[in-house]
Amino acid sequence: MTAMSDNSIAPVRRWTGFGLLGKGLFIAYLALMLAWLLFPIILVLLASFQGKLEVTLSASDFGFEAYKSIPPAYWEAFWFTIRTALSATLLALLVAVPAAWGMVRGKLKGHRLLSNLVLIPDVVPQLILGIALLTVFIPLHLANSFAGVLLALTALSLSTGLRFTEALLTGLPDEYEQAANTLGANRLTTFRLITLPLIAPGLAIAALFIFMQNLVTFELLYFIAGPNASPVSVRLFSDIVDRGVLPYAVAMAGILIYVAIAFYTIVAIVLGPKYMAGSVMSRKG
Amino acid sequence: MLHRKESHSQAVHINRIRKTFGAFQAVQNFTLDIEAGEFVTFLGPSGCGKSTTLKILAGLLPQDSGEIRFGDRRIDMLPPNKRNIGLVFQNYALFPHMTVAENVAFGLRMRGWASKDKKARVDQLLALVRLEGLANRRPEQLSGGQQQRVAVARALAFEPDLVLLDEPLSNLDAKLREQVRLDLRDIQRSARQTTVFVTHDQVEALVMSDRIVLMNAGKVEQVGTPVELYATPATEFGARFVGANNLLKAKLAAGGAAVSATVDGLAQPIPLTTVSRQIGGTDIWCCIRPEHIRIGHVDSSSSKFEARVVDKVYQGTTVLIDFEIPGIERLRAERPASEAERISTGDTVQIGFERTHAVARQPAD
Repeated sequence: MTAMSDNSIAPVRRWTGFGLLGKGLFIAYLALMLAWLLFPIILVLLASFQGKLEVTLSASDFGFEAYKSIPPAYWEAFWFTIRTALSATLLALLVAVPAAWGMVRGKLKGHRLLSNLVLIPDVVPQLILGIALLTVFIPLHLANSFAGVLLALTALSLSTGLRFTEALLTGLPDEYEQAANTLGANRLTTFRLITLPLIAPGLAIAALFIFMQNLVTFELLYFIAGPNASPVSVRLFSDIVDRGVLPYAVAMAGILIYVAIAFYTIVAIVLGPKYMAGSVMSRKG
Repeated sequence: MLHRKESHSQAVHINRIRKTFGAFQAVQNFTLDIEAGEFVTFLGPSGCGKSTTLKILAGLLPQDSGEIRFGDRRIDMLPPNKRNIGLVFQNYALFPHMTVAENVAFGLRMRGWASKDKKARVDQLLALVRLEGLANRRPEQLSGGQQQRVAVARALAFEPDLVLLDEPLSNLDAKLREQVRLDLRDIQRSARQTTVFVTHDQVEALVMSDRIVLMNAGKVEQVGTPVELYATPATEFGARFVGANNLLKAKLAAGGAAVSATVDGLAQPIPLTTVSRQIGGTDIWCCIRPEHIRIGHVDSSSSKFEARVVDKVYQGTTVLIDFEIPGIERLRAERPASEAERISTGDTVQIGFERTHAVARQPAD
């Protein structure tokens, strides 16, 4: 109360010593957390312009040599990864959306059991899935092929996709669909004109997460990949194990970061910031 | 239907609808005939089965048994999109990704109207609900009252056989609600649209309806005009639920030609005019509406009492006054504020009511 002067009318919030100290500590805490999260990414980006992991800060060390020296086999692996990751994302959502709709809206018996079952691939170590898929894929001649990698990624994506779409549909009140129904729309039309547009923003975020996950999946693909089907994560791993950290490997890691940032930015621009921060999954009416 | 003489609306026949949820009987033998163009309200407390009946009419919930016809057309086995009904939801359920015009046109679009006719019809409806100029807004840009009117326009647009309103006023503030319920009634009348309105608010029901279906615990208690329901409630539930009422526990006593009620604890009997033939036995409730209790000079044919003022509640135009009479703990009167000014808590005054205003009702079991 001593801080109040006689002629003050409105109560004014004043910083006390403890208040300022608290605020300072909180800012430091946030800065440390961000540094911890972003440090590896920044290190890789800096290293990619210097061609080595021992980063210096002298300007003369910066250059594009590492990027220029990326061999064609790496680019092949990169495009292979982009193709499989995108296809698996689309395929998974194509399967997941109708399945989730049936589970949530169809009031399917055993729906809870089912939605827990589909979570299992997500929580079982990918290593185990990889070995299991390999034993199936070898007799089917799917190991070391585009189709094999695509199927493996789709299995993983489907689990995430179902979880997302199930949450999206549960969060969407029945009334919109019921209203469309009473106005004369059949189930399919209702789904096309009402349900799908209303969950579209959430689906875009789901696609973003699934695509990112596919981009960097390693353990699962390690078993299925081969010379004919080599995703960039597997290629990087085997090269680094065999030959150490090569400049172009660091550059390729940098490119993966750009792809992730670009994809995130596109989704953020399309949806607007209110859907991104805090991941609000369903559109509010 | 707005500028035509003939209404598109149909008579609705509901025959012995039943619905149970496990052991709970939500609706028991609901039977009702609604005339074309009539405004019928399902009134009752929550859990009385009114919303379940509405959902069954809409096709959103299957009934266990029973039959529904629109005119000659049996519709109870059809899915909602084949019934041709307009439903206004409690929270309106306007499509957030469509404009006002697209929302109103949705039913027309589903019926394959040409875009020129569609536009004309949407304009006509928006004029009816006084929302011209807002056609290109999104629902989130509208106030609650405007959203409600869009929902009504959307439900009326395609000339439905029946319009269902599911407590559409409950999300509006008190002032707006009064305005909107009159608007809604006017729209319904000018469109001559068969309408079923569901509410728990007895004032809304009295103001808006041609007929009221009073429901309790899955059963129909009484069907009648607002005046019938208010003046001659058929049951104890009706007497308690519709309007305020004083219920005095009494026994019927026939003395010669006149019938009277002997109220427990009260020396003097209360004369009654008519007693419904439905009453069997002598146990009754003697019901007197608060607005029928007078203070001061009371004519000779009335029941008169010396009463002490226990409490006064000011309500603006009227004042609620609670009286204590020897033998009766509490009798509530509602008087104009100007009249109530003259008395204060603790006073002893003479009160009374005319014999026609004392009504006997059979107690519920």
